[in-house]
Amino acid sequence: MVISIKDAAKLFGISIIACCAVLVCTLFLNFYFDIMQIKDLIVSQQAIAMYEAQISQVKVVCIATGGGLLLTSVVMLLFYIKNYIDTHKKSLGILKAIGYPNIKIAKHFWVFGLSVLLGSAIGFAGAFCLMPAFYAQQNSGSILPEVTINFHVSILFCLVILPAVLFAALAIIYAYFKLKRAVLALLKDSPSDTSTPKKHKDNGKKQLPFIKELQKSTLSQKKSLVFFVIFSAFCFSAMTQMSFKMRELSSEMMGAMMLLIGLALALSTLFIAITAVVRGNFKTIAIMRTLGYSQKECRYAILDGYRPMSYIGFAVGTLYQHFMLQIAVDVVFADFDNIPEYNFDFIAMFVSLAIFIAIYELLIFFYSEKTKKLSVKEIMLD
Amino acid sequence: MIEAKNINKFYGNGDSKFQVLKNINLTIKNGDFAVILGASGSGKSTLLNVLSGLERPDSGEVLYDSANIAVFSDNELTKFRKNNIGFIFQQYFLLPNLNVRKNIKMGADLVGNTEYTAIIEALGLGEKMQKTPNELSGGEQQRVSIARALAKQPQVLFLDEPTGALDEQTGRQVLNYIAQLQAENGFTVIMVTHNHNIANMANTIISMNSGRVSDITQNQTPLNAYEIGW
Repeated sequence: MVISIKDAAKLFGISIIACCAVLVCTLFLNFYFDIMQIKDLIVSQQAIAMYEAQISQVKVVCIATGGGLLLTSVVMLLFYIKNYIDTHKKSLGILKAIGYPNIKIAKHFWVFGLSVLLGSAIGFAGAFCLMPAFYAQQNSGSILPEVTINFHVSILFCLVILPAVLFAALAIIYAYFKLKRAVLALLKDSPSDTSTPKKHKDNGKKQLPFIKELQKSTLSQKKSLVFFVIFSAFCFSAMTQMSFKMRELSSEMMGAMMLLIGLALALSTLFIAITAVVRGNFKTIAIMRTLGYSQKECRYAILDGYRPMSYIGFAVGTLYQHFMLQIAVDVVFADFDNIPEYNFDFIAMFVSLAIFIAIYELLIFFYSEKTKKLSVKEIMLD
Repeated sequence: MIEAKNINKFYGNGDSKFQVLKNINLTIKNGDFAVILGASGSGKSTLLNVLSGLERPDSGEVLYDSANIAVFSDNELTKFRKNNIGFIFQQYFLLPNLNVRKNIKMGADLVGNTEYTAIIEALGLGEKMQKTPNELSGGEQQRVSIARALAKQPQVLFLDEPTGALDEQTGRQVLNYIAQLQAENGFTVIMVTHNHNIANMANTIISMNSGRVSDITQNQTPLNAYEIGW
């Protein structure tokens, strides 16, 4: 088997995201279906207004949470598969060399769909555990008639089974196209992000010290890693700041839920991004350590270059969440009563930034320590 | 002078624990061309790793002019390798994203060597400076690896089957470069090989078998790279 369940298990980040997305969407969609069943019983003006507000809220939350997290999951899945192919290209190249067709190898990538199945199943079950409290919260003033909890098979199908199947199919299709490379390109130790090596015309230019040149080259050659670091910082920034603000704009429960989801998502994307950065540069670090470069120099050349990128991601995430919330308040919540005026939350930004820096630096320190004992022997055995 | 005293090294643990190096004792003089000769699995690469400070022995001493590197910390070993050791491996281990010049600069910068372009020219790589490793032949890649090692101006050059992936003509060429550069610069060479013919180039031949040094011979009439068999 090309990919083991263990490889798929490393995609726990997608499981977490799927879990969060399905949890929120199940809560709101189930409530939506159940409230639709009592539509005819709603007669008072106050109850009708409440009903319409609830329907709008369901639509906004499901589109924002479901859509946003779905997009994040897709990006993570594609990134992980690309990274998997890059780090296992020799084994995959050997399979191709001995005659396995691309589609036969790609078919094994279905197991990555399991991470979605696992996460969404947990999210679905978790939603039913939280549902009584959620229904009570949504109808706290008892303005609406009693809304009873019903099980809807269509939600189970659309939020658990269908995404798992679609993600498995997406993994196979993406892997199939990524495997469409010459066997030698997979077997040879060629740069992974560039199909044709760039000409490095550096004659006459002022020559930088090697570790500075390596830092520049690491960033320019591994663009997908740079993108993922920016993306993870973007997610972290947007989700945490949005979560803090949601506590003001929505209920305490909703705020707490958003904060938990935001932190889980932010941490998992950041963790996966930094893990990928270290794994993607494992060989370079091992060679540097063997030649006698210190841990500090390796860290500077390989890991430190991603730091400014992560701050860029954080800044973009801050702007994104600001405009998203502005639009939400202006457009979606326009008809709602008692919605506090929206202003940019500097405290939330500084708290998020402090948490982000602490987690980022901790992860970098952890991996930097891990690479301390790397030697060329590790890559000889690879 | 490099001395190995009562070196023992184990891999694995529990039932799978096995001894790779068994009570190794040897001496290599400064400026010597030593070959560690043995079949696959004899422990020769592990011995090279221990002598070069890539791995620590489980017991015994590795002395470089009386300094025992076996007790060095990780940082001390890194510093030691930086200042004293050059490596050439069968798999080259060049950085694929960097061009030839930058790969060689990787070695040069460690010791502040700004004159490394002379080595590039000496190894006939002047025309290839802007190429990346995957645009080079195996022999050219190994020459880049040699240049990178020599740009560090090492006192001891360790080579692990440097011609293992090369054809006869390129292999002889590479060995000739190494021997020539050693004659010019006077560094110590310690080379691991399974090829008895290559061992004829050495002054000192250390034969290994099942983790033990079975024989150490001094070769009074070393041959050059074009005189040995293949």
